[in-house]
Amino acid sequence: MLTYVVRRLLVAVPTLLGVATIVFSLLRLLPGDPAVIIAGPTATPETIEHIREQLGLKLPLWQQYAGFLGRLVRGDLGISTRTGSPVIQEIATRAPFTVELAITSLVIAIAIGVTAGVIAATRRNTGSDLGISGGAVFGVSMPTYWLGLMLVIVFAVHLRVLPAAGADQGVVSLVLPAVTLALFSMGLVARQTRSAMLEVLGQDFVRTARAKGASRSVVLIRHALRNALLPIVTTIGLQFGTLLGGAVLTESVFAWPGVGRLLVDSIGSRDYPVVQGVVLLLSVVFIVINLVTDLVYACVDPRIRYS
Amino acid sequence: MWVARGRSAVLLMLAGLLVACGTGGGGGQQTSGGTKHGDTLRVAIGIDPDTLDPAAQTTTTSAQIVDMMAETLVRVDEKGVVQPLLATKWDPAPDGLSYTFTLRQGIKFQDGTPFNAQAVKFSLDRILDPKTFKAQPGILGGKTGIDHVDVVDDSHVKITLKSRLAPFVAAMTQTVTAILSPASVNVAPNKPEQVTQPVGTGPYKFQERVAGDHITMTANKDYWGTRANYDTQVYKVVPEAASREAQVTSGGVDVINLPPANDIPALQANSAVKVILGPSDRTIQIVINTQDQTQPLLQKPEVRQALNYAVDKDAIIKKVLFGAANPLDAPMAKTLFGYCSVGSSYAYDPAKARSLLQSAGASGMSVKLVSPTGRYVQDIQVANAVAGYLRDVGLKVDGPGTTDWPTYVPTYTLAPPSQAKTDLHLLGWAPAYLDAQQQFEQFYSVRTPPAGQESSYYKNPQVDALIEQGNTGTDQAQRQKTYCDAAKMVWKDAPWIFLYNQRYPLVTSSKVTGIAGLPNEKFVTTWASPA
Repeated sequence: MLTYVVRRLLVAVPTLLGVATIVFSLLRLLPGDPAVIIAGPTATPETIEHIREQLGLKLPLWQQYAGFLGRLVRGDLGISTRTGSPVIQEIATRAPFTVELAITSLVIAIAIGVTAGVIAATRRNTGSDLGISGGAVFGVSMPTYWLGLMLVIVFAVHLRVLPAAGADQGVVSLVLPAVTLALFSMGLVARQTRSAMLEVLGQDFVRTARAKGASRSVVLIRHALRNALLPIVTTIGLQFGTLLGGAVLTESVFAWPGVGRLLVDSIGSRDYPVVQGVVLLLSVVFIVINLVTDLVYACVDPRIRYS
Repeated sequence: MWVARGRSAVLLMLAGLLVACGTGGGGGQQTSGGTKHGDTLRVAIGIDPDTLDPAAQTTTTSAQIVDMMAETLVRVDEKGVVQPLLATKWDPAPDGLSYTFTLRQGIKFQDGTPFNAQAVKFSLDRILDPKTFKAQPGILGGKTGIDHVDVVDDSHVKITLKSRLAPFVAAMTQTVTAILSPASVNVAPNKPEQVTQPVGTGPYKFQERVAGDHITMTANKDYWGTRANYDTQVYKVVPEAASREAQVTSGGVDVINLPPANDIPALQANSAVKVILGPSDRTIQIVINTQDQTQPLLQKPEVRQALNYAVDKDAIIKKVLFGAANPLDAPMAKTLFGYCSVGSSYAYDPAKARSLLQSAGASGMSVKLVSPTGRYVQDIQVANAVAGYLRDVGLKVDGPGTTDWPTYVPTYTLAPPSQAKTDLHLLGWAPAYLDAQQQFEQFYSVRTPPAGQESSYYKNPQVDALIEQGNTGTDQAQRQKTYCDAAKMVWKDAPWIFLYNQRYPLVTSSKVTGIAGLPNEKFVTTWASPA
C-alpha cells in the first residue's frame, strides 16, 4: 500500500510540472498587459514602464519561466503583482474559507443526497421516487448564480433570517452559500445512489439476506448500500474537487472571500503569480483527492488490493 | 414533512440569533454637533482594494477608504473646488516653479507622532522613490513633476517643480499625496516600500482587514477636526451588483455603490432606501479613429459630426441608464476647472446626419465598433444602442464586439495609429483630479499611443498649442479661457461621439444620512450619521 502511495505521489511530480508549464504559457498568451491594468487608465507612460520593470515583466520570457520554476522548487510561489503580498500568504488567507464552504456543502450533499437516493431506489416508481428524481434534476440543472440570488431574495430580503452576503457573521453566513453550492452535488449524488442501489437491490445476495431474516435496515445499509458505494464514492471524490475549484460563482454571489474569487480577481488584473499559484494548488488538491478516493475503494471493497 | 418542519425550526432559531446579535446600523444618540451618534456603519463596495498604500492608489473606491485614514494637504469639495485640509494655505512662486504650503499646527498622527513639514517631505519623497511598490506619482513624477521637496520650517514646506505645471495644486488633492506618519512605515506589517495599514491624521483608524471580505476602521478619538459620528465603519467587498442590492434592501448593510442600473427605478420607489445619483467627472464616449486607414471616411470632420447627430443621447440616458447620466455639452464634465459650455449641441437629428454623410460620400459606410463589458455602467448596452442609431442612418455597423476589460485595454491603449484595430470604441475617461488638463490628455496629440492614451489619434496643432498654454499658464482666468477655446475646437472637430457625463449611483438605508458624493466619483461616508 505504502509503495503504491509513494509511486502515485512520484507520478504527480511530472503532472504538476506539466500544469505549471501550461498555466505559465497560457497566461502569457492572454491579451492584456499587467502593468497597464495595474497602473490604471490615466497613468503616464513613465509610471507604466516603471511598474513593468518593478514586476519583472521586462525580462525575457525564458528568464521569467526559469525564475518561476526555480522559486517553485523552493516552495516559493512569488509575489502577487496586485497586492504585493507573497502568493502563499494570499492563498493561505483565502483557502480556509473555501475549504469550510466545500466541506459543509459536501456534508450536506452526502447526507441528503445518499438518503434521498436510497429512498428513491427502495420506493421505485412511486411518488417519492418521482419527487426525489425531479428534485435531483432541479439541483443539477439550476444555474448557481440564479439559484443563489433566489435564495437571497427569499431568506435575506423577504424573510430576513439569513445574511445576504459576506462571511463575517459566523455559521449563519455559511448557510446560504453552502446550500446553494450543495444543491448541484446533492442532485448528482442522489441520482448516482439511486441507480447504484437499484442495481444492487436486484442481486442474489440481497435476496439471500432478506431470506435469512435480516431486518430491512440491515439489508439496505449493511448489504445493499455498502455494495453500491463504489460509484458513489467516485462521484463524491470528484465532487469535492469540483466544490473546491468550482465555487467561483457561489463565492461571487455571496461575497465569500475564498480561493475561487481570488482566482477571478487575479485573472481580471492579470496577476500571473497568483493565478499560477491557485491553479497549481487546485491541481495538487485534485491529485490528492483522486489518490484518497482510490484508497477509500480498498476500505469499501476488501477485494481491492494495491501493491 | 419532517425535513420542512426541521428547517423552519432552524431558520426560526437563526432569526432569533440574528435579532439578538443585531445587524449593524445603529440607533443613534444626539451629539453636540446636532448629528447623531451611531455604532457601526456597513458599506458594501464592488471591488476588493488591491492596496491601502496611499502611494499606489489607482481606483477611487479604494482611495476613498484611504482618505478616511490618511489626509492630503488639500482636498476637493462637493463642487470640485480645491479647499485646505492639512495645509491652511499655499503660495505659488511668481515663476510658477515652486509652491510653499503652510501646514496646520498641533496635529498628531494616529500613532501619536507629530504632523509636520518633515512628514510631508517624507510622504512626497516616498511616492517619487522608485523602490515604493507600484507608486503612482502620475503627473507629479516623471520629467515634468516634482523636482524636490524642502522643509522650510516645522510648519512650511516648499515643493519645487521641474517645469511649470498649472494644475499642480489640483493634482495635490489625489490620495497618492496623503501624508503618512514616517515612523509607521517601519512598524510591521508595514514596510517602507509598501504600506498595508496606513497611519495618517484622518478621522478613522485602521483596525482590521480580511482580504476579500472587509476592511474595518474605528473613529479616531483624537482627530483634530470634527469627530466622526459612527464608532466603526466596515467596508465589505461584495462584487455582484445584485448581491449588493439585496444587502442594502435586506438591511445587511447601510450603503452600497453601483446597484444594477435597471433596478434604479424600483429602488427609488422603495421607501426603505434612498438612491443618490452622485456626481462624477467621468465622460462616456464613442472614440472615433480620426486617422483611420481601414475606414478613411472617418478622417473627415463632417462625417464624425454626422455620427454625433445620428445618436439620441437623451433616449440612451433615459432608457438604458435610467437617468444616471447627464448629456455632454462640452468635451468634459461640468465640474472640471476649465469647463465651459461650447454653445452648440449635437441634438438628435437623423435627417441632418444622413445629409452630412451623403455630402461627404459616406452613406452606407462600414464601421467596426467595440465596447468593454462590465467596466462602466451599462457599457455594452449603450454600445448596442449606439450601433442601432448608426444603422438607422444607413451605416453598416460591425459589432459591437466586446471583451472583458483587461483584454479590451490593449485594443486601444498601446496601439499606434498604424496598428489601430477598430474604427469606433466605447471609452470612459475620469480625470484623476478636477482640472481640464487631465481631460485634454484625450485631445493632445503628444499623447497619441504609445506615448499616452489619446486613442482617437486626433491632431489639431491649434488645439495642441492651446492645451500647452493652459497646462503651463499661471493666470487662472486666462487658463479658463484657453481651455474653453480648445474645447470649442474639439467639439467642432468631433473626435468622439460625445455621449454623456456619467452619474455615480449610491443606495443608502433611509436610516442613514450625511453620505455625500464628490465630483471625482468618491462617495464620502466619513461624516455619515443615523437619520
